[in-house]
Amino acid sequence: MKRRLVSVMLSTVMLSTVLAGCGGNTAQGPVAETPAVEEPTEAETSDAGESAEEPAAAADEEITLKWAIWDKDITPYWQAIKDGYEATHPGVTVEMTDLGATDYMTVLATELSGSGSDFDVVTIKDVPGYATLVSKNTLEPLDSYIADAGIDLSLYGGVDSQVRVDGNLYELPFRNDFWVVFYNKDIFDAAGVDYPTNDMTFEQYDELARKLADPTFGSQVYGTHYHTWRSAVQLFGVLDGKHTVMDGNYDFFRPYYEMVLKQEDDSICRNYADLSAEGLHYSAAFSGGDVAMLNMGSWYISTLIASLASGEYDTSLCGNWGIVKYPHAEGVEPGSTLGTITGLAVAGVSDQKDAAFDFVEWVSGPEGAAVMAATGNFPALMNDEISEIIAGLDGFPTDEASREALSVSNLYLEVPYAEKVSEVNDILDTYHKSIMNREVSIDDGIASMNTEVEKILAQ
Amino acid sequence: MDEKKAALMQRLETEAAELMRQIRAEADIEKKKKLIVKRDSIQRKLTATRNNRRISRETKRDLVAYSFIAPNFIGFAVFTLVPIVFAFLLAFMNWDGSNAISFVGFDNFKRMPTDTFFLAALKNTILYVLGTVPLTMIASLALAIVLNQKIRARGFFRTVAFFPYVASLAAITAVWSMIFHPSKGPVNYILYKVFSVPQDQLPKWFSGSLVLVTLVLFSVWKYMGYYMVIYLAGLQGISAELYEAGSLDGANTWQKFCYITWPQLRSTTFFVVVMLTINCFKVYDIAVMLAGGGDGKLSTSATVLVYYIYQNAFNYWDLGYSSAIAMVLFVMVLIVTLIQFRYEKKLEA
Repeated sequence: MKRRLVSVMLSTVMLSTVLAGCGGNTAQGPVAETPAVEEPTEAETSDAGESAEEPAAAADEEITLKWAIWDKDITPYWQAIKDGYEATHPGVTVEMTDLGATDYMTVLATELSGSGSDFDVVTIKDVPGYATLVSKNTLEPLDSYIADAGIDLSLYGGVDSQVRVDGNLYELPFRNDFWVVFYNKDIFDAAGVDYPTNDMTFEQYDELARKLADPTFGSQVYGTHYHTWRSAVQLFGVLDGKHTVMDGNYDFFRPYYEMVLKQEDDSICRNYADLSAEGLHYSAAFSGGDVAMLNMGSWYISTLIASLASGEYDTSLCGNWGIVKYPHAEGVEPGSTLGTITGLAVAGVSDQKDAAFDFVEWVSGPEGAAVMAATGNFPALMNDEISEIIAGLDGFPTDEASREALSVSNLYLEVPYAEKVSEVNDILDTYHKSIMNREVSIDDGIASMNTEVEKILAQ
Repeated sequence: MDEKKAALMQRLETEAAELMRQIRAEADIEKKKKLIVKRDSIQRKLTATRNNRRISRETKRDLVAYSFIAPNFIGFAVFTLVPIVFAFLLAFMNWDGSNAISFVGFDNFKRMPTDTFFLAALKNTILYVLGTVPLTMIASLALAIVLNQKIRARGFFRTVAFFPYVASLAAITAVWSMIFHPSKGPVNYILYKVFSVPQDQLPKWFSGSLVLVTLVLFSVWKYMGYYMVIYLAGLQGISAELYEAGSLDGANTWQKFCYITWPQLRSTTFFVVVMLTINCFKVYDIAVMLAGGGDGKLSTSATVLVYYIYQNAFNYWDLGYSSAIAMVLFVMVLIVTLIQFRYEKKLEA
C-alpha cells in the first residue's frame, strides 16, 4: 500500500509539472489595453540607416545601453530611434533586445525579477505591467533625474500625473495614442448624410449611426462598429473627467452599455458574440467598406495609410476616410478622449543609470518626438509642429476636420496607475465580456464589477 | 597504512562476530532478518578492505545504475522536484517574485471561500471533469468496439477517429468556432431552418451556461480517438475462446459484453479513467482557445483552475495565492486518483 501511495503521489506530481509547464507558454495577449502590436508594417522610413555609420572615433569612453523592446521587425520606430540617438551621441551603442509582443510585460517582469538581467533601459508597454514592475522594485524613480535635467513635464499634457506612484514617476512617455472616430465618407455620401463633426454629443453620434445603418441583406451597412475591447464601450464613461476606471463604482458605465446593446439589437452594429466567436479584427471590419464609423486609437491612422498605399486595403471600399474627435457627453467640453502611452524606464539593476536616463530623455523629448512623427506615429510630446508633420503625411485625409481632430484637450488614460490595476483591469474585462455576451444583465454586470473591485481595493 | 587496515579489519571482524551471536540469540524472525542484512553489509566491507578495493562491488553496481538514471533525474530534480517542493512552501507565503518573502500561514487558503473567481473556476473545473470523463470513456469504448469488428475500410475510420487528437488545437478550435458560430454557423442554421428555433433563441455556444457544454463536447471529440486506441489494444487482448464459450452457452451480444468484454477490459478502463481525470483537471488551452474570445480572457462562466493559477502567478504576481490554488488542484487530483486505486484494488481482491 505504501509503495502504491508513493507512486500515486509521484504521478500526481508529474501532472503538476505538465501543468506548470503549460502555464508558461500560453500567456495570452496584451493586458486588455490597446495593443501596441498594431504597429503598421510599413517599410522602414527614410532615416533608418544602419548603425555602422556610427562615429566611434570621437569617443573616449564606449557605452553600450541594453534596451528591451518588442516586435523589432514590424515596428518602424525602434531602429529609427536607435539610429537617431547614436548619430548624435558618439561613443554610445544602443543594443536592442526583442522580447516579443504577446507577453512582453510578463517576460520583462520575469527578466527583471532575477539578478541576471543587464537591461539599462526598458520600454513600458502598458500600465498594468508598469504597476507590476514598480511594485517589484525593479525600476529607478526618475524624479531627481528629471529635476536635474530640467524637463518640463507640462508638455506631456498631464498624462505623467496619471502614472505617478506615491508621487514618484518611474517612466517617461515617448509615444501617445488617443482615440478618435474614423468614418467612411463614401457611406455618408451614399446615404446623403452630413459627415460627423468634431463636437458631436453621444446622442448625435447614436442618431448618426442609426441613420446610416442599412439592414438590407446583400448590401448591409453598419452605422458603427465596436471592437471587443472594453475600452471601446465602457470608457465612453470616463470622458466626463469625473469618473475613472479605478473608482470602485461603475454605475456611470450604464448609459453606454445601454446605447451599445440597443444598437446591437437594432442591427446598427455587429454583435459582440459574433465578433468574439469569429475573432474579427477591427481593421478587417472597417476596410470591408460596410462600416460607417469606428471608434479606435490613433495608431490605426498609420496602418490605414500604409495598407491603402500598399494595396492591401481596397481603396474603393475604404479609401475615402476621415477622422473626428471622440463624441462627448452633454455638458462636457468636446475634445476629451482616451489615451494609451508607451514609455521608457531605467532599470534598477543598471550600472550606468545616468547614460540610460540620457537616452530616455532624448527619446521622450522633442528630438525623439520628431523621429516618431516621421514614422507616422504619435509621440507623447504633442504640439502644433508635430500635428503638422502627421497631418502632412501622404495619405492623411485633407479635410479641415480631420486635421483639427488631432488636437486633444483632455487625455484620460485607458488604464491610469493604481496599485491593484492588473486585478481591477481583469475584473472589468471579465464582466464586460459577460454583459456584452448577455450572460448577465447590465445592472447585474455592473453590480458584480462594483463588489469585486471593492474586494480588491479593500485588500 | 597496513596497521590502519589491520585495525579496521579487526574492528569489523569483531562487529561481525558480535552480530552473528545476536542473530543466533534472536527469536523474532523480523528482527533476525534485519540483523542479517546488517551483518552482510559488514561482511561486504570486510571483503572490500581485504582485497584493497576502495568501494565494494555492490556499491560499484549501484553507482553504475545511478549514473544511467542521473541525466534524467538531474533534469527532473532541477526543473520539477525543486520547483514543486518550493511551490508547497510558497502556498503558505506571500511573495511577488522580487520583494522579501513573508510567511502568512493559512491566509492564502482562507481567501479562497470568498473569492468569486476561484469558486467559479473550481465549479467549472469539476463540472468539466464530471462531464468529460464518463462521456469520453463511453464514446471511446463504443468506437473501439465498432472499429474492432471486421468492417470495410476499418483502418480509414480508425484514422478519422484518431485525427482530432493529433490535429493542431488552434486549427480545430477555429473550425469549431465557425461551426458553432452564434449567427452564421451551420449548427444554428440547422436549428433555425429545420427545427424552427426562433432567431433570438438560438443558442450562443461560447457564452453563458452553454460554454461548458461546448467545452465538454469538444474535449470528448478531441480525446476519444486516443482512448479508442487504448481500448482497441485491450479488446484485442481478450481471448476469442471466451466469446466462443459464451456462444456455446447461448449468451447474446449484450450478455457477452457484460460478462466478458467489460470485466476483461477492467484494467484498461482503470487506466483510461485515471488518465482522463488527470488530463481533464488540468484543462486550460481548450478553454482559452474556445471561450477566450479576442483577448484570451475567461469570464466567470468559463474560467478554470489552471487559468486562474496562471492569472495570479504571472499577471498579479501573487505567487503565494497561486501556489495555494495549485495545491488545491493537486489535492483534488490526488484524492480522486487514490479513490480510483482503492476501488481497483478492491475489485482485484
